[in-house]
Amino acid sequence: MRLFETTEAGSVEIQIGEDIQARHEELAERNRELFRERGIRAFDVTGSVGAGKTSLIAEMVQRLSAKHGVAVIAGDVATTHDAERMAGRGAKQVLQINTGGMCHLDAGLVYRALERLPQSGVDVLFIENVGNLICPSYFSLGVEARIAVVSASEGSHVIEKHPAMFESADLVVLNKVDIAEAVHSDLGQPIKDLQAMRAGMKVVKTNCLAGEGVDDVLKALGLG
Amino acid sequence: MAPHAKGSAVHEFGVASEIWEAVRRAAGEHGGGRIRAITVEIGELNLIEDEQLRFWVTALAERDGSPGAELRIAHLPVTVRCRQCGETRTAESRDSRVESRETEVESRFLGGMLGTPAAACPRCGSGEVEVIGGREIRVVSAEVDAGQES
Repeated sequence: MRLFETTEAGSVEIQIGEDIQARHEELAERNRELFRERGIRAFDVTGSVGAGKTSLIAEMVQRLSAKHGVAVIAGDVATTHDAERMAGRGAKQVLQINTGGMCHLDAGLVYRALERLPQSGVDVLFIENVGNLICPSYFSLGVEARIAVVSASEGSHVIEKHPAMFESADLVVLNKVDIAEAVHSDLGQPIKDLQAMRAGMKVVKTNCLAGEGVDDVLKALGLG
Repeated sequence: MAPHAKGSAVHEFGVASEIWEAVRRAAGEHGGGRIRAITVEIGELNLIEDEQLRFWVTALAERDGSPGAELRIAHLPVTVRCRQCGETRTAESRDSRVESRETEVESRFLGGMLGTPAAACPRCGSGEVEVIGGREIRVVSAEVDAGQES
């Protein structure tokens, strides 16, 4: 930083040149470092409100808790409902972040929750992002993979309408397949759109409430 | 990043908070005088509404002893490149209008306002396009009262 020139009013112009996006990357890297140090496999679960993020995580926690130390960080604008729904599933620890209005989780907020995790005993972490298919796309949490959950009742063109989210996803879970017909949804369109976006994009169909397809999700993530 | 925000914090609050902190740090290293103006560069893909951003930066400035600080925002356009053939295009403005067949293809290539494009390269048809400009959030400079030297 250098002093520039003095203006008429006696103030100076300071060159700052600070890249906020680069700062975001640094914060994401800080989380990545922490995960590496503690041997934690961390996943970011995104999706619209009601898509099935919490149901999916609850089912995964249940299936993994016998052999893994699983923790969950749930993110919402308000309430602790999502964290509470993890009760009885066998998680080592469940934390809830309330953003108070912000529409997405970011690496900085997540870090503050990470500081409350035990030093050891947790080797899998699911971070449930705020229900939103847009804003979370732009904020890396420093995780191993992003799982985007989309449900049959969000319309056939949901993928094309949210390019940033699905381009940033490593795995897409197509949930609520059991009600697709009832909501006149053609599940073929989202699958087609995802393949067009990235050949070989991993897609798993689920009915999380009934626990169907969850084993396939775990397999796709290399867990279990 | 953004602290636990109370009230009606919106999308821009987080960015405003970071901009303000960056300026405060810099001003602190130059005597800590009152901040008169801030210049930022914001890429269009951040979906930042100028007035919302200005609202929050102004509020933070007032809270921290620099009421009336001016925020100057320069918009950086969206630039997209095809990974296959190298074709690079830059959006002229945030709202692309469809006027001709060629323009329509270019508009879809640039993806309009919302995130990365879902369409194909207008030159070679490849779907492998990447965003190389439009995501920046840069705090360029700040005008600070020449206060006591530290």
